[in-house]
Amino acid sequence: MLKAYMILSIILFSIGVIGLISRRNIIVIYMSIELLLNAVNLSLIAISGDIGNASGHVMSLMIIAIAASEAALFMSLFVVLFRKKGSLDANIFDILGNKDD
Amino acid sequence: MENEIVFSVLAVVAVVSAIVMISAHRPIDSALSFIVTLISVAALFGLVNATFLFVVQIIIYAGAILTLILFIIMFLNIKDENLPEEKYKNRWLLVTSILILPFSVILINLILGSDIAVNSVINENLGTIKDVGLTLFSQWILPFELVSILLLVALVGSVTLSKRKD
Repeated sequence: MLKAYMILSIILFSIGVIGLISRRNIIVIYMSIELLLNAVNLSLIAISGDIGNASGHVMSLMIIAIAASEAALFMSLFVVLFRKKGSLDANIFDILGNKDD
Repeated sequence: MENEIVFSVLAVVAVVSAIVMISAHRPIDSALSFIVTLISVAALFGLVNATFLFVVQIIIYAGAILTLILFIIMFLNIKDENLPEEKYKNRWLLVTSILILPFSVILINLILGSDIAVNSVINENLGTIKDVGLTLFSQWILPFELVSILLLVALVGSVTLSKRKD
């Protein structure tokens, strides 16, 4: 059962990496990052249940808390950038590099 | 035996909805199918007795974070011309899958060849809120405090970012 959990976690992680690299919509990129975190959580919890120690559960609780704070920051960034640029394309968000904006 | 059947169904649902999530064109479709992935991952947590994490996953991920994303998508009033064009999206997805495939095959072979835990004994008490809480407040007290500071900083940062006028 643990092997099946690990394999599922690897598959979900690979799907997340594929979405992260190949999409340009920033909302989909954000959700791919969340998928990576979820895949890691899955393997942490499977291993933790297998060795009989609750540390993995606590680690994935921390990961969920970090994902929540990341969500708050990402959402406010989406709102600010969408107001400024009027698009969700990740390629045009370059205001850190342009002085003339 | 029932566990294996439930696991297979949940795994297939999670993988299929994750694939739909990364390949859908409109963000609302990807958000809705991502909710399905999150709920099936939560059920997979429940399958290995992680009851507390099951509840947390449903409340925080599917309840709070994804609702936030849906709110933002609906508030921003995103039209088709606001979306990136992504003419070569399918080609990009294919190329990246071919690039990622060898790494995942190597990892899966590694897992299959290793001798980890064929006899998983599931302890009934593990993963209850009492067990997780005792571990959290005895061994993990410093990371817990740091995470609370991180949440405070993220809160202040997001309010400052979205209230700025320029």
